[in-house]
Amino acid sequence: MTAFRTHLEFLRKTDELCSLERPESPSPQVVAAEALRADGPAVRFRAAEKSHVGLASGVYGGVDQLTRQDRSPWTRLGIGLGVDRDPEYVDVLEAITDLGDRIDERDVTYVERAATATDRTVRELGLPTPPDEAWPHFTLGLLSVGSDDGTYWAPIHGTVLDGDTIRARVPAAIRERFERGESVTVALGVPAEALAATTLLTITDRLSTPIEDRRVGSTVPVIPTAGGLVPSSAEVVLETELATQQPDTRSEKPEFWERLVDGATVTLDVTGVFARDDAVVPFTPLDVPLADDLQLVALALAARLYDRVNGYWGVSPVDWLLLPAAGRLGICIVSTEVLYAGFEWQLANFLFSRSDCFDTVVLVDEETDPHDLGRVLGDLWVKAHPSRDWLFSEPDAPVARLPTYERDGTGARLYVDATWDPRWDEEYIAPRVSFLESYPPDIRTAVRESWTAFGFDSEPDDVGGA
Amino acid sequence: MSAVPVPFRAFLDVLEERNATARITDEVSWDLEASAVTMLANETDDRIPIFEAVQSRNGDVDARLVGDPYRGPQRRPWEFLGRAFDLPVDAGPAYYEGVIDRLREPVDPTVGDPADAPCKEVVRTGADASLLEFPWPYIHHGDGGRYATLATLVAPAPDSEWGSWSRHRAMIHDASQASLLLLAGEQVPNLYYFEYEREDEPMPVALTIGAGPAVECTAEMWIPVGRSEVAYAGALQERPVELVPCETNDLRVPASAEVVIEGRVMPNERLDEGPFGDYFGYMNGPRRSMPVLEVDAITHREEPYLPFCVEGTGVGYGQNSSSTFQAAAGGPDATLGLRAAGFDVELAVPWPFTSRTAWVIATDRSYPGSLHELANFIFTTWGMLHIDFFVFVDGDVNPLNPRAVLEAIALHADPAEDFHQFGVERMPKVPLNIYQTPDEKGSATVGTSKTKTAKAYIDALSDGNRPKQAIGDEGERDRARELLAEAGVSESAFEPAHTMELNR
Repeated sequence: MTAFRTHLEFLRKTDELCSLERPESPSPQVVAAEALRADGPAVRFRAAEKSHVGLASGVYGGVDQLTRQDRSPWTRLGIGLGVDRDPEYVDVLEAITDLGDRIDERDVTYVERAATATDRTVRELGLPTPPDEAWPHFTLGLLSVGSDDGTYWAPIHGTVLDGDTIRARVPAAIRERFERGESVTVALGVPAEALAATTLLTITDRLSTPIEDRRVGSTVPVIPTAGGLVPSSAEVVLETELATQQPDTRSEKPEFWERLVDGATVTLDVTGVFARDDAVVPFTPLDVPLADDLQLVALALAARLYDRVNGYWGVSPVDWLLLPAAGRLGICIVSTEVLYAGFEWQLANFLFSRSDCFDTVVLVDEETDPHDLGRVLGDLWVKAHPSRDWLFSEPDAPVARLPTYERDGTGARLYVDATWDPRWDEEYIAPRVSFLESYPPDIRTAVRESWTAFGFDSEPDDVGGA
Repeated sequence: MSAVPVPFRAFLDVLEERNATARITDEVSWDLEASAVTMLANETDDRIPIFEAVQSRNGDVDARLVGDPYRGPQRRPWEFLGRAFDLPVDAGPAYYEGVIDRLREPVDPTVGDPADAPCKEVVRTGADASLLEFPWPYIHHGDGGRYATLATLVAPAPDSEWGSWSRHRAMIHDASQASLLLLAGEQVPNLYYFEYEREDEPMPVALTIGAGPAVECTAEMWIPVGRSEVAYAGALQERPVELVPCETNDLRVPASAEVVIEGRVMPNERLDEGPFGDYFGYMNGPRRSMPVLEVDAITHREEPYLPFCVEGTGVGYGQNSSSTFQAAAGGPDATLGLRAAGFDVELAVPWPFTSRTAWVIATDRSYPGSLHELANFIFTTWGMLHIDFFVFVDGDVNPLNPRAVLEAIALHADPAEDFHQFGVERMPKVPLNIYQTPDEKGSATVGTSKTKTAKAYIDALSDGNRPKQAIGDEGERDRARELLAEAGVSESAFEPAHTMELNR
């Protein structure tokens, strides 16, 4: 388990994090959105006032893969999950899946809460206020609801209305689990395992099982609170009660999980504020490209689909499955072995049946590297025959949830088959042009060994096959 | 007129001023090694290699190789050409508009004294002219032979005094023969196949190597019949291209060219061409029969540079000279051509991950059916052979921003209504593709596949339903970028912007 502040330290050591003094203006959300737009690093905002918490954006996302980079969209989350400092994509997907798995025996570790009571109000924590808005926002929070059966976790984000009132959005499925006057707890700055598992369980409609019965419950050390268990290392903990007055309408911008499952608006009275020394909490601007909430859903949904698709036919034909955040999850890319002629149709339609997010699936051959989205975005056009390999269903399928074209009722689905036809003779398969395939080993070795002496700066080993 | 470089060597100076070259003095072989170095540099966005010492079995000419000299940086492929032509380079749309403005005013070439022409420093004719004196690179393992890949072919043009200039590669066969890739549908191949060959006449040509950036750029453009590419090369560099007469035919060639191969494309003669690692990023096959260039003379500079392109590396994240020409010359030319044809087009640019096969056009839906008409126009003209797909995005979306384009495809293209094919397998296709089988490609005599293909366009216009791209007002975003720059984020990382308004 990696505490949030340790996660930030790992990001700093791997050059995935830059730091700056929190400015008076513009809002940290604007700075964070611009950093995402630039494919930039995560940003740590040092608190300008003593009572304020520190802030960090881009901790779970960033990087669109549309230029060659040595970072990937899953790098920062993978570091937080403890996979590796340069995590493999599939390892990250499997780590997320594992956290959501049911376990047979509860094995909860209780550790003292790192955050201590403070007399600051929630308003005085200095959470960032988005541009053109009046109240501070919190995002990427974790809601904890206790019950006799155990604790339920769910994502939460919202607005700080005054010193002791917040209005927040939570999944409708969790809202059903607590009543007015009951205590629930909000934790900010929780370990990546907790946030990733919560996102996964939310978008796969699995919030009805206590976290003690999921792997995450035995992975993340926790501590009881007035609401339920929260990660012991949480940077900020807000103990709250569901207010007697509840809003009739929603007024918050949605976090991305709300595009997949129904949400509900709640007003919470804050009864206790706990914060670690020099607390720092994550946040994300909402509804901008490459935002953390979007990337968390992209990885959680990819993890779920990858797990499903490789557990279905008794074999594991799929190498990886990617929902590019740049496409706002409207398109799904899957690298697969084509087991037999027609398997590509079967696979694409299996994915359509397991997720209503996207209407387009692109299939690429299994040797394609998930780091190399550039190759996918080339093969899509040059390897797939414009008529034979761009295949549309009749327009009688449900309309996908995330594309924004306006269409009522039914729509069509498309899959693009950019794999080699398994019926082709071997000699029909065009070899790739690449450093690995176009040059013999002795030349590759000689070039690599002379690279720096020739006057080049780059790392040739970063290129596939180099 | 601005003082801008004309010859190839001055372009190398531009690169060196930007610290963008690596002069390699160690001996490097033309046999795969120089290409391997170039491929790795292309893929890692590193410096452009200049091979000062090339191992050559013959070694009669002390030539130097330059690997993909026109390749631009991956984020801004037009940058070096823009600097050479003294055009704006920071934002893609501004560069495009700069090129378009230049192309509106062609500048006719001048004809100079051959005695002063650098390309005539060495003149060999007849049996003294040998292709084998030069270290033509063997580029990919499995290629059919050694290639001249960055070559501009000067050919006769019935209605232009200055001839027709276009890019064609040549596979070297022996001292006096090479096969030329001539694909019917393009102007010079059409002239050969349907005029000269039918008359059983050889077509005089001159294959120029290192003719300089302006000439190479316009050789990639689709210039209307009756106009000459060399006048547009003059427009690009805002000064006339100086030409000199050939030794053995009536054509004229750039005086500053590094090498000029004069010859004739023989009627009804063919030699093997390919396989070759082509711009698709794959080795295409099988071998094709292509017209024969019979060499009559070779003139060149002392210690000439032989620029070459490692084809197949301009796909995915990589850039090479071909993909750069597409982005930096083909795109502005296409934009201008479509506007001139009456279409309301903001920008037309090649999709950066394929080099040629897919293009993105920013346009508004001027009237019902306008996208179909636009795609139909291109597929029947300059986009006929190489382009299979167009993606249309909103007129204010920057098509040079692949994130914006991917988002448009993912969110705004309705599979039920926005994907349009022009019939099923009714259209011509170059046999260089990889999605047809060798049987389907056949061995057509004029260089197109035996089997036809389909063309398609995708309507990814948002119709006003585009998600937000940024928050805060312009001043706040500017300040945010300043803060991030102070924290170490490169200022160039903010380009290209999602919309052209932000980019201008």
